[in-house]
Amino acid sequence: MTKGKATSRKIAIDPITRVEGHGKVTLHLDEQNRVKEARFHIVEFRGFESFVKGHPYWEAPLLVQRLCGICPVSHHLTAGKAIDQIVGIDPETLPETATKIRRLLHYAQVFQSHATHFFYLASPDLLFGTDAPLEKRNIMEVAVANRELALKGIQMRKFGQELIQAIAGKKIHGISVTPGGVHKGLTKAERQFFLDGKAVPSVDTMIKWSLEMVAFLKEYRNKNQVWLDTFAAFPSNHLGLVTADGALELYDGNFRVKDFEGKTIIDQEPDMRYQELFSEATEVWTYLKFPYLKSLGRDKGWSRVGPLARMNVCDHIPSPLAERERQYFKSLTDNKPSNSSMHTHLARMIEVLHCAEQMKVLLEDNTLDKGELVRQGVHRNLGIGVIEAPRGTLIHHYEVDDDGMITKCNLIVSTTHNNEPMNQAVKWVANNVLDGKPEITEALLNQVETAIRTFDPCLSCATHALGQMPLKISLFDADDKLLDERTRD
Amino acid sequence: MNGQETKQTLLIGIGNSAREDDGLGWAFVERVEQEAYFNGDCIYKFQLNLEDADLISKYKLVVFVDAHKGELPEGFRWNRCIPAAGAGFSTHQLEPQSVLYLCQQLYNVQPQAFILVIQGYKWALREGLSLKALGHMGSALKGFMTWIDGYRQEIHGLERRKQ
Repeated sequence: MTKGKATSRKIAIDPITRVEGHGKVTLHLDEQNRVKEARFHIVEFRGFESFVKGHPYWEAPLLVQRLCGICPVSHHLTAGKAIDQIVGIDPETLPETATKIRRLLHYAQVFQSHATHFFYLASPDLLFGTDAPLEKRNIMEVAVANRELALKGIQMRKFGQELIQAIAGKKIHGISVTPGGVHKGLTKAERQFFLDGKAVPSVDTMIKWSLEMVAFLKEYRNKNQVWLDTFAAFPSNHLGLVTADGALELYDGNFRVKDFEGKTIIDQEPDMRYQELFSEATEVWTYLKFPYLKSLGRDKGWSRVGPLARMNVCDHIPSPLAERERQYFKSLTDNKPSNSSMHTHLARMIEVLHCAEQMKVLLEDNTLDKGELVRQGVHRNLGIGVIEAPRGTLIHHYEVDDDGMITKCNLIVSTTHNNEPMNQAVKWVANNVLDGKPEITEALLNQVETAIRTFDPCLSCATHALGQMPLKISLFDADDKLLDERTRD
Repeated sequence: MNGQETKQTLLIGIGNSAREDDGLGWAFVERVEQEAYFNGDCIYKFQLNLEDADLISKYKLVVFVDAHKGELPEGFRWNRCIPAAGAGFSTHQLEPQSVLYLCQQLYNVQPQAFILVIQGYKWALREGLSLKALGHMGSALKGFMTWIDGYRQEIHGLERRKQ
């Protein structure tokens, strides 16, 4: 990479690799190679909130899922929850079978998304180390070095994708949600496909493999405790949805925020109140907004979202095996919230286990093709849907006129909530790893990416963008003259 | 080619029909699917994924068809797909060569694989192929039919010699 030189410099990592989408990091160094400033930029154009205006409300769940090829199901479901309200249906009045089908779809999505992140994006850092040669840090080398792990990763992702296809018709951009319900249930034969282990490994195998992955990460943590506990660790608030009794809730719950020590900041706030609770700040150097709790203000009100935050805010997990592992997870920090970014990998895998357990419960449910699938009430002009997507709290807000045409759309996606935390993580690496180093090597820069990867950012979602945004690292001198630049695409 | 052999053939169209000529891969596969002579399996994909290594491991012959942005003298190009360990910066990017590499590494099988790319010209958010791209697709289709006929005869010959 760049040799140290007695002049102020700016380094940019562009694109950040093994994340979903394109991003850029810039690091400003002074004459002594001390970090003056570190920023994570998203430089694409936002568009979807405008695109959907003027369209009929029922198109929203179909249109907005085109934001992303990775987590379209999350957008489909969240928009669906919002549009339910437009047709007069709240989560508690949605037909029971429709709720079960949506939950099953959601668990399949979270399961496959988390598996993809772990095996494809994160595992090279864990298996080979952040200082391994660049050409080694990818899934191809994981396949060579750890064939069994890679095979299981592929089969787990495939299981989730197949289940999404069975419910929504397609693995990507399928359709399940309709205003006030779902298009179809799941027949016994369709459920059997995932239970008998003939065509694909069974859901019981998914539970077994999820447990193995949790065990793998626990053992990894035992061997690498200092690194995992301290790398990119910084105090933050944690935001997630919970049930009325404080359980982890991915599909429909109330907001809970805890601070870095575990003090409750807000609890059991209904998702419909998001506008009263949160505001969004902007910065000139990124298109990604900075959501924060109004009560705490811009500087102190930002929160992490996603698996780590969810483990930190919930009181228990309603799946026995995952709950057992949550208790182990909590023991790592004496029952206090974990502020260690690298712990997110274990939290994510505990959620994989939870999803596998919940998928089994629903796949064994004989009522998935029975009863009412769609219901409608008195139409309204406002709908707000909130869900815990794989990467964190996802908020969709739609307003419609009396003809049902969308007049307003606001989306706060998971990666947007994690904007400030990702910037904090980059600053941590800049201050603790890069600061004062005579030479900034590629391996050192990879640690910036390793920190960002723990959040599993979905950058195209975050900016609701079209097109490409490569990750770039640029190096500038004291006069802001470009000295070096690395681009990955 | 007998029925069993052709069922061991997989044609994968890669692209997006909502992006003009990016839909070439799908359009090509759609045309081949309509041809009586072809009774292999056809699949349409926005992008290749890791689990496609599992998918192609079940076939003897795999053909990836995609649109091409650069200049191609004949409007299309036909290459053997060689396994390669390259990895893109996100899961959005996975090349046929990488899928084949994974297939080889994970499943210990390596289907015969080819990549057919067809030159496109327009990539906007609109359905429908450009006239030039349609012309190239026609040429590619003729080339493919000739090739698959040759392949069929070659396989026949090999099997006869085995007997």
